[in-house]
Amino acid sequence: MDLFILLITAAISSGTPLLFAVLGGIISEKAGVINLGTEGIMLIGAVISCIVFIQTGNLFVTLVAAVFAAAGLGFIHAFLCISLRSNQIVSGLAITLFGTGLSAYLGKAIAGTALAVSVPKIKLPWLESVPFIGRIFSNLDLFIWVSVALAVLLYLYMYKTSLGLHLKAVGDSPSTSDVMGISVAGYRYFHVIAGSMLMGLAGFYLIMVYSPNWIEGMTAGRGWIAIALIIFARWNPLYALLCAYFFGGLDALGFRIQLFDIGIPSYFLKMLPYVSTILVLMFIGWKNRHNPPAEPTSLGIPYFREQRF
Amino acid sequence: MNQKITAGQPSVPMKKGLRRFRSLPFRIEYDPHKKSGGWWIPLLSIGAALAICALFIALNGMNPAVVYGKMLQGAFGSSFGFSETLVKAIPLLLCGLGVAIAYRISIWNIGAEGQLIAGAIGATAVTIFAPNLPGPLYIPVMMLAGAAAGAAWGLLTAIPRAFFQVNELISSLMLNYIALLLLDYFVFGPWRDPEGFNFPGTPIFTPSQMLATIGGSRLHFGLIFALIAVAVFAFLLSKTRWGYELRLLGANPSAAAYSGIKANKHILIVMMISGGLAGFAGMLEVSGTAHRLMYGISPGYGYTAIIIAWIAKLNPWAMIVSSVFIGGLIVGGYSVQTIGLPSSMSLMLQGSILFCLIGGEMLSKYRLKRVSEEGK
Amino acid sequence: MKKLLGLFLLIMMFSILAACSQESASDPVKEEPAKAVDSESTEPKKIVKPRVAFVYIGVPGDGGWTFEHDKGREMVDETFSIESTTVENVPEGPDAERVIEELAQNHDIIFTTSFGYMDPTVNVAKKYPDVVFMHATGYKTAENIGTYQGKGYEPGYLAGVAAGKLTKNNKIGYVGAFPIPEVIYTINAFTLGAQSVNPNIEVSVVWSNTWFDPATERQAAISLLDEGVDLLANYQDSPAGIQAAAERGVWGMGNDSDMGHYVPETYVTNPVLNWGPYYVEVVQSVVDETWKSGAALNGLKEGMVDIAPFGKNVPQDVQDLVNAKKQELIDGTLNVFTGPIKDQTGEIKVADGETVSVEDILGMNWFVEGVKGTIPK
Repeated sequence: MDLFILLITAAISSGTPLLFAVLGGIISEKAGVINLGTEGIMLIGAVISCIVFIQTGNLFVTLVAAVFAAAGLGFIHAFLCISLRSNQIVSGLAITLFGTGLSAYLGKAIAGTALAVSVPKIKLPWLESVPFIGRIFSNLDLFIWVSVALAVLLYLYMYKTSLGLHLKAVGDSPSTSDVMGISVAGYRYFHVIAGSMLMGLAGFYLIMVYSPNWIEGMTAGRGWIAIALIIFARWNPLYALLCAYFFGGLDALGFRIQLFDIGIPSYFLKMLPYVSTILVLMFIGWKNRHNPPAEPTSLGIPYFREQRF
Repeated sequence: MNQKITAGQPSVPMKKGLRRFRSLPFRIEYDPHKKSGGWWIPLLSIGAALAICALFIALNGMNPAVVYGKMLQGAFGSSFGFSETLVKAIPLLLCGLGVAIAYRISIWNIGAEGQLIAGAIGATAVTIFAPNLPGPLYIPVMMLAGAAAGAAWGLLTAIPRAFFQVNELISSLMLNYIALLLLDYFVFGPWRDPEGFNFPGTPIFTPSQMLATIGGSRLHFGLIFALIAVAVFAFLLSKTRWGYELRLLGANPSAAAYSGIKANKHILIVMMISGGLAGFAGMLEVSGTAHRLMYGISPGYGYTAIIIAWIAKLNPWAMIVSSVFIGGLIVGGYSVQTIGLPSSMSLMLQGSILFCLIGGEMLSKYRLKRVSEEGK
Repeated sequence: MKKLLGLFLLIMMFSILAACSQESASDPVKEEPAKAVDSESTEPKKIVKPRVAFVYIGVPGDGGWTFEHDKGREMVDETFSIESTTVENVPEGPDAERVIEELAQNHDIIFTTSFGYMDPTVNVAKKYPDVVFMHATGYKTAENIGTYQGKGYEPGYLAGVAAGKLTKNNKIGYVGAFPIPEVIYTINAFTLGAQSVNPNIEVSVVWSNTWFDPATERQAAISLLDEGVDLLANYQDSPAGIQAAAERGVWGMGNDSDMGHYVPETYVTNPVLNWGPYYVEVVQSVVDETWKSGAALNGLKEGMVDIAPFGKNVPQDVQDLVNAKKQELIDGTLNVFTGPIKDQTGEIKVADGETVSVEDILGMNWFVEGVKGTIPK
């Protein structure tokens, strides 16, 4: 039981940076634009956080700076993919290359500087007495709750508001939404940039809470995992919550099994999250084999107004 | 071909932002059917990228002209540099072909990295488990094993996709990580060189397990195979019934289904070919350049290959150009470090060049158009 | 399009041919005149300002391995008032061979600072007999290749002594990057050091299987912290592990470079590398033309390895004890791997009075008794 509680706590903490990035990816893809630049945007978010925090020491200012720096890269992606109708895959990869390079360049001067940051923890004394749940939830940091709230809010936005329905229309059938008078480009710009901001937030979380000093390439592929988890979550923010924790939990579980000393090489234990993701997806796919896919139908396809019928 | 699509109906400015310019006598208009511009468009784009990067380089306190000169010289300026660029281009080209064939039928295979590693493992397995083969047999057997292992790794993506509706983007990415860990397991574990002080790598191959190189350079005969692969690829796609089915499947899956094309069968075959090509590249890497299986055998070839495929617009012949170009960019990127440009800068350069390439490509599809009366 | 391609292919073929003919023409015959032009007289040209190059696996900002090499590079630059060439982020393998060869064309000394550069260094060194190659942590030497390595187990032992003294519940955690000898012998030395002052300790090892991923390192650290360890050592470049430990008020130790400023309250000390003096020595010997190939394995005595200054909360008696042991190691009265040493199964691996040979240390792949963890075979 004790181990289980610790495992869930570890799952939440290791899933949260992923969760921010996955949520960002979901709203971008819901509008029909794949953003493969996640890795680069997260890195920019992290390095800007580090620089601004060293300068100001203010957590809120840092957060705003990180999010807006990420929005800058998001804008480039949006401009290339929406206005210029470039290939979204190449544009995203270019964002990753550029963001990785730029973050390394900016971070040269501050590498190795320790950040004296303490992210406020939300203490919930009334919850502490509740068995099991109390130990997990009564002492989490602020941004974990922010990420959970964001997931719920995004869910409500996407499925319960008319704006969210428009968003779905833009992602599924831009020509129809155009006829309906919805600005396809406007929606796409807004959501790509907002999505990038969330990816920047993921970078912010990673450096502020996870490992408070800048190291080149510190995301170490988490951006790519996030892109994969978008699909795992079937473009649903609430599923994203589960998927991120599932993935993070298996990651943490691998290390714990190592400690049991049962002779499985650590490499195979580290495969756990990847293998299970594929297996779970196969199971879900088998169960849903008669249902239509959840993917936004026009994902990755630039919209040409002239093509409307 | 180049017909005016807007004729007959009031032409609308393509997006709100441009409405401001209505008072101008010209309007910028997008024409998706306009054939993309001539050879000068990519050159112009690269020029623009270089201009942008010049700014960054100058900010770093260096002379952009010197940096670019060094880059060009490092990648193409000497027989050494150019042969090294080609060495780099070989795996990029093969993986690029691999992912391109999958993209043709809208299978988003980003697993070339894992397939390459699987191929490298497969080829190395021959040297481990069959240490006493007759010499001349090694290269062909290793090639087969590498391609087979890559194809099998591709199948691991294709089967969940074909029979369980598992999105290939996620499964191929996860399989990359799995392949990487498997590689770690082998080189740190059972396959490590017993005389290598337990360091992560297999024993060095015997000469008969290594590909011959050309002259004194490191350019190996894999180049010939890569070029043959391009030709075969181009022939299969444009001249055979199979290629036609693929094109139909890529352009219009439902029409393809009506005409009796079995999508699942094609997914399996295409992913096997795709993985096989990447696996073959993996074999060439261990046998041609690294001469052993080692930790970190691929510095991300599989991911770079996606760029190769797309900037060539999935055209096999154009991929020769794009792989040599990107290969040169990477090689030149290391070269400029020797005169003091940090490695981060060469990544930024690569990113900017890509931005401008795809941006310029699409910009060339816009044209200026005199504002007509009815448009007002 | 086709025409353009034809042209391109043609150019390519020509350059290959050119490459072939040029390369086959070079080698011994061509080298002689080239040298003569270089130095006018027949005497080899004396090096006034050495042209030095460093090849890095990471970036100087990694705060660990490459950071320390770069500090050594700075010392070389200052001593000889030169500007060394550095190439960073060079993957081990084909890329390394190209980079090293390019550097060999116009440098006198090249330091290749990662184990995986071994074969590339050997290959290039064959082609450039006049260039001195120094390869860190490898085992292949040649006429113009020397290797160098720090006795990481000596400071590792000292860190263990401090750990053995500081732990209250005798549970110590160790996050290792990869199961390679360098990490394994450091963990063994650490454990032996801890056992020398506290025979009841147990060291739990978790492999992170990564060098450059702070978030994963943190997860590995947390899995150990959840087990209740009250001291956490890390063989990683980033401070992520000791930062996680600090959050729970647990003692932390890093590796490679001084990590005290990250967690001032809970920091103990850790093994550090110090390449600078050695680099200056090597470059000087090349300038003086006294350089000879060899395999340098230097320890506390030579100053290539050391332990970082103690954290401010480490009790004075612990510091004194560690410093005393350090002196013993320097004097040679104490040897880390002298028997009796038992392995994990409890069997005597090193008999009483025997000492493990250098080769066996550098290729170590077994854990001593008291380590809880597995080395994948």
